[in-house]
Amino acid sequence: MPTIIIDTLEIEVPEGTRVIEAAERLGIMIPRFCYHPALGSVGACRVCGVKFLEGPVKGVQMSCMIAAKDGMVVSTTDEEAMDFRKHVVEWLMVNHPHDCPVCDEGGQCLLQDLTISGGHGIRRYEGLKRTHLDQDLGPLLHHEMNRCIHCYRCARYYKDFTGYLDLGVLGSANRTYFGRFSGGILESPFSGNLADICPTGVFTDRPSRFKGRKWDYERRPSLCIHCSLGCHTHVSARYREIVRQEARPSEAVNGHFICDRGRYGFYYSDHDTRPREATLAGKPVGWTRAVASTTEKITEIVRQYSPAAVAVVASTRCSLETQAATKRLCIDRGFTGPAFFISTGQGMRTRTAVAGCTPDLAVSLGEIGTADFILVAGADPVNEAPMLALAIRQAVRNGAEVAVMDPRPVAMPLAFDHLPASPDDIDKYLEALAGGNGEDKAGAPLPVFVRSVSEKLAASRRPVIVCGTDMVSARIPEAASRLAARLKTQSRRPGLFFLMPGPNAFGAALLSESPNDSLEAVIEKIEAGTVRALVLVEAAPHRESPDRIRLEQALSKLDFLVVLDYIDSEAVGSADVFLPTTTIYESGGLFVNQEGRLQGAHPVHRGGLSIHRTGKGSHPPRRYDAGLPGATPRPAWEALGELGADLSRTWEGMDREAVLEWLSKKISAFSNLPLEDLPEDGIRLDVSSTIAPAAGATDKTENEEAESGIELLLSDLTFGTETLSSLSECLHAVEKPPCMVLSIGDVKHLGLKEGDRITVQLKNGTLEVNLRITERAARGVCILPRHRLLPWQCVGTGRVWVKKEQIKAQRHKGTEAQS
Amino acid sequence: MTADIPQVLFRHRKPHRITTLAEYREHGGYEALSKVLGGLKGGDVQQLLEDASLLGRGGAAFPMWRKLATVAEDAPFPRYIICNADEMEPGTFKDRVLLHAEPHMVIEGIAIAGFAARAEKGIIFIRPEYENAARILEREIENARAAGFLGPRILGSDYSMELVVHRSAGRYICGEVTAQMNALMGKRPNPLQPPPYPTDKGLWGKPTVFQNVETLACVPHIVRNGADWFRNLSRTETGAGTKLFCISGRVNRPGCVELPMGTPLSELIEVHAGGMPEGSTFKACLPGGASTGFLPKKHYDIELDFDALKKAGNRLGTAAVMVFDQNTCLVAATVNLMTFFARESCGWCTPCREGLPYILDLLTRIESGEGRPEHVPMLERMAKHLWSAYCAFAPGAVSPLQSLLTDFRGEVMQHIEEKKCPFK
Amino acid sequence: MDSSNETIGPVRKDLAEKIAASDHPRELVVDVLFALQNRYGWLSDEAVAEAADLLSMTALEVEELATFYTFLYREKVGKYVIHICDSLICWINGGENLRDYLCAKLGIELGGTSEDGLFTLLPVCCIGYCDLSPAMLVNRKVYGPLTREKIDELIDSLRTGTVPVGGNGGGV
Ligand SMILES: Cc1cc2nc3c(=O)[nH]c(=O)nc-3n(C[C@H](O)[C@H](O)[C@H](O)COP(=O)(O)O)c2cc1C
Ligand code: SF4
Ligand code: FES
Repeated sequence: MPTIIIDTLEIEVPEGTRVIEAAERLGIMIPRFCYHPALGSVGACRVCGVKFLEGPVKGVQMSCMIAAKDGMVVSTTDEEAMDFRKHVVEWLMVNHPHDCPVCDEGGQCLLQDLTISGGHGIRRYEGLKRTHLDQDLGPLLHHEMNRCIHCYRCARYYKDFTGYLDLGVLGSANRTYFGRFSGGILESPFSGNLADICPTGVFTDRPSRFKGRKWDYERRPSLCIHCSLGCHTHVSARYREIVRQEARPSEAVNGHFICDRGRYGFYYSDHDTRPREATLAGKPVGWTRAVASTTEKITEIVRQYSPAAVAVVASTRCSLETQAATKRLCIDRGFTGPAFFISTGQGMRTRTAVAGCTPDLAVSLGEIGTADFILVAGADPVNEAPMLALAIRQAVRNGAEVAVMDPRPVAMPLAFDHLPASPDDIDKYLEALAGGNGEDKAGAPLPVFVRSVSEKLAASRRPVIVCGTDMVSARIPEAASRLAARLKTQSRRPGLFFLMPGPNAFGAALLSESPNDSLEAVIEKIEAGTVRALVLVEAAPHRESPDRIRLEQALSKLDFLVVLDYIDSEAVGSADVFLPTTTIYESGGLFVNQEGRLQGAHPVHRGGLSIHRTGKGSHPPRRYDAGLPGATPRPAWEALGELGADLSRTWEGMDREAVLEWLSKKISAFSNLPLEDLPEDGIRLDVSSTIAPAAGATDKTENEEAESGIELLLSDLTFGTETLSSLSECLHAVEKPPCMVLSIGDVKHLGLKEGDRITVQLKNGTLEVNLRITERAARGVCILPRHRLLPWQCVGTGRVWVKKEQIKAQRHKGTEAQS
Repeated sequence: MTADIPQVLFRHRKPHRITTLAEYREHGGYEALSKVLGGLKGGDVQQLLEDASLLGRGGAAFPMWRKLATVAEDAPFPRYIICNADEMEPGTFKDRVLLHAEPHMVIEGIAIAGFAARAEKGIIFIRPEYENAARILEREIENARAAGFLGPRILGSDYSMELVVHRSAGRYICGEVTAQMNALMGKRPNPLQPPPYPTDKGLWGKPTVFQNVETLACVPHIVRNGADWFRNLSRTETGAGTKLFCISGRVNRPGCVELPMGTPLSELIEVHAGGMPEGSTFKACLPGGASTGFLPKKHYDIELDFDALKKAGNRLGTAAVMVFDQNTCLVAATVNLMTFFARESCGWCTPCREGLPYILDLLTRIESGEGRPEHVPMLERMAKHLWSAYCAFAPGAVSPLQSLLTDFRGEVMQHIEEKKCPFK
Repeated sequence: MDSSNETIGPVRKDLAEKIAASDHPRELVVDVLFALQNRYGWLSDEAVAEAADLLSMTALEVEELATFYTFLYREKVGKYVIHICDSLICWINGGENLRDYLCAKLGIELGGTSEDGLFTLLPVCCIGYCDLSPAMLVNRKVYGPLTREKIDELIDSLRTGTVPVGGNGGGV
């Protein structure tokens, strides 16, 4: 560990630490443009020049390019070094427009900061400026090349870090240009980060352009809740509206970046369809009356039937506080539930995965970068949890190999081996790997791919198993856990990383009594007449459950339906009582990500209808009451607490503190934790005493005999399937058109061909969709995205097989498939 | 050529055509290769080159043996030997002349150097203006291969090497070896600051030795005639071997001549370049291409070797001597040079990419009579700071400017004071 | 770009074979671009896309190189591309006058293409023929030392087609 002196301060740093980093540890912020902790040093901008007075190198040198060595004495304030840096800034400003007031970066611009702090106040250059034409890069980013200072961060980020190859460096000398071959939507689903890493105004966030300056914003640390990874963000609000979300650096989770689904997923919070008033039979009645009617009606039902006739269904997107409040309500009042999962299978798979997240095996997203071999089983990173793909890519850049077993035509911006295997085959193979067997259960030899995975696992020191829980059986997460445990006994440092269905699926699993706490089970009870009233908390079953007709029929059988939500789901329309709730941006909240990391989001603003909406483009109406317009919504936990208090005299306190106190008393995983004051990177929960490893878990559907035909699998896409972000209009343009995917090996006998528009006859209706044929999908399955533009909810529950007769191509004469 | 001037590289040079393989062999061609493959070790070749003090002829004057020696014994394969025939330094055309005269000398040099580094693949990186030379090389490589001097198991030994020609599409920076490495890999030719050094992790991550055409052509002669012979060719103690000088500008016979290292500048001009035209007197020269400084008249008798020029605060560079007479405006000449460098900057680092156009702007103002006294210290400071650029391009670029501002300051000030170019 | 096009077919096939035989196809980007430029006269967007396709690269990746080099033309050029050297020695030897003379003779500015589509005039840095200065390249064949008379002679014969000069991908 070398010791180095910078500006008379001494510091010892790990071998390999750059001088710029050592200085930062001392609180000395050496100017930088091209250096970025995630992208490393390349020595291009030259603004980090400092003077090396003693040691192995001498003179003005770039502090980002030189590793600290014993005996180095460095001055950042040396006259020559300062003069050099001042010149660098002057050179960078030669072609830069002097119009910060009209630039959206102004106020959070590194160039602005360094120009001022470098003392370059007066322009000396009298020549002409070089100018460029800009490109239209789509709805998410605005491009202004004249502001470019050529730090190369964008291209290094885009091509090297994320592995997408449609944005790069063109031209040369002082005509160097950063852009695409031709204008058009950026291909990377991580493109929004360009706005964060560009140190000036070349890439700015397009949807929030000109909404304000950084100092105008209410800006707080928050979390992304658009998948289970829980990436850290900063959210900015202005005039009662969320305007921007940026990545918040987190070593343990997302590093320095987030995906575009996360960044632009927030528009639901100020969506024009957002229901903001409490209603009774569809009529606005004010909060108090709505709650009172609810109490009245529920009391009546309890009296008439039993407490168990009232069911509570929440979701995996609820905050932990809300989940806990539903739990408390059910326990206190004897209601049925709470159910958080759509189906029993989903609950089972998630619980099995949660049980596998033991402290010795679970790895964080950040730790994936340290893996030397990664096995991905039943997961499609870019589509299910985009930032996972970036984490895997960093491991690959460090030399890791990656093998994927998944039925989908998995695409990632990295080199990997893919075995397009059906869920049943993945089950077989993972089982064999977990058992260390050379053959599968039936005694058949394993495919070459699986044998090679087995060898690579054996040869690796830091293998990580990434396992999905969406389209696989509960046996798979269980086998993944056993595989990891087995590798551990062989003195490796294995890691286990599960994906889960929703930002708080982990919390939901901890709070569910049994896998039967599912919407599916509750529907059965409604059908059986044992449940008469339903409290639906921040759940949109119409969108998320695969049998909409059955759901609607069940709901119509209810005596009473209460809905609490912040989006206008279909359930809102059929609710007897509706109570509007706040979003994460208004109330904050705790979430447990898929790794078991408990982390918190701060409230960003007070909510209410945005001025932009109340004013309709003009001055907002002058009102003389004290409240905010559209601010009826309350945190769901508070609403539930109110109901609880109304229903029971023993219920004490209904605020957040009370809920959390209850939680820490009742659920051992949360006891003795500083729930009110979590560290930045959160706390990894120890779940061993809360949830038992579900050995040999099964759910009833998975033992269903395979029928003839091909199995229909539902899947997620990066954009267009997740409920909340699907409401963001700016993301609609970057969605890929939804299509059904089929293996090339299966199309022949089905008589179909690429690009066909097909109709699929399903249990509850007919689906019309475009067909995509690929060599890279598993045979015997067809894959359908849960896309907002497809009425996929006619598929039906359980495993679904489609027969040849059910699929028809719609063709005009003359375009018949040749067979 | 005067009889007593030793000729090594140009000894058997034919007017307007190459020395064929047969002719080359008649004069002992490929004997060195055969000697090396007949029992010498890579280390022996290195030792010879060290004893011969062979310095790189591409501009940086780096000892060739040291590059070979840094390729570790246990370094991975395949390894590469690259012959740098980019030759884009203004004023320089010696490699072209040599390739048009003695392609086999270069090929043999590559094979020997390749052997010393155990390189299995050789690449000649050539600028697009030298398409003729590229075609000659491709043809002669085939001939050499057919005769067993290249390809698998050369001359029956266990050493194999394939040699190919890589055509560049033309940029000055591609002559810089790390940029050349990127160019060869189909990447943007920006330089890469070592470490790692190309001899450690070069082309495709494998050890790679880059040498200039002329440097490589010296190798067979050293192997054949010995290190002492080579060193003694020089007229100075500090130098070694002969050198190809390109002489151009205000001289009667511009061209490329082979002279012993250490030949005085005055002799080069007066004897070997036919003197200066009637009425011209020597004012200054650039001794080694565009990225060296103006050498003022007080050095007219300087012995041209790497050491002497270094002592004079200059560089021998590529030994491309460009001569200026009393009528050449050195401010305008520097404007020309800065135009070149500003245009050819690769665009990677700020001082070069933005600093050079800025310098060009100031200098153009001075040349056109719009200069102000404060521009001079501005230029001086910027030129100084360009030494802190990413690669050697920028320090080279400002070398003529810095010598202009010191040795010809009066001329600069005259432009400013008279508000016009005194030469117009 | 239509790969079955009769004239480009063989070029494409040849390139595809070279690429398939190479350990590192990326070494061939410049070769491929030169070949396509030779074929089409310049590198249109379609030609860049075609190169990308042949090399399994993205068009952007190819463009990163195509826009870097002096002798790759991303804009339409004339049948004869004249690169007139504007570096130091040619400047000393009166290159500027000859450049102006050429501009006037061809009726174009530097960077322009003559109306008949025959000539494009571009500046170039030192071409390594300072011994033949002032010098220029026409379709990469060198001419020098230039005089007005020599220029007249050359341009006139090119106009009338009496001197053969190779394609601008590498005439000698
Ligand atoms: C900007 C720049 C351009 C260069 N161009 C050439 C060149 O065209 N030919 C060459 O041989 N060396 C050139 N060099 C020097 C090479 O980097 C390198 O030192 C040389 O090729 C090594 O061979 P040598 O040791 O045999 O001279 C250039 C260096 C720089 C910084
Ligand atoms: S000094 Fe900088 S911009 Fe200039 S050529 Fe070198 S790396 Fe490129
Ligand atoms: S931060 Fe060091 S050179 Fe840019």
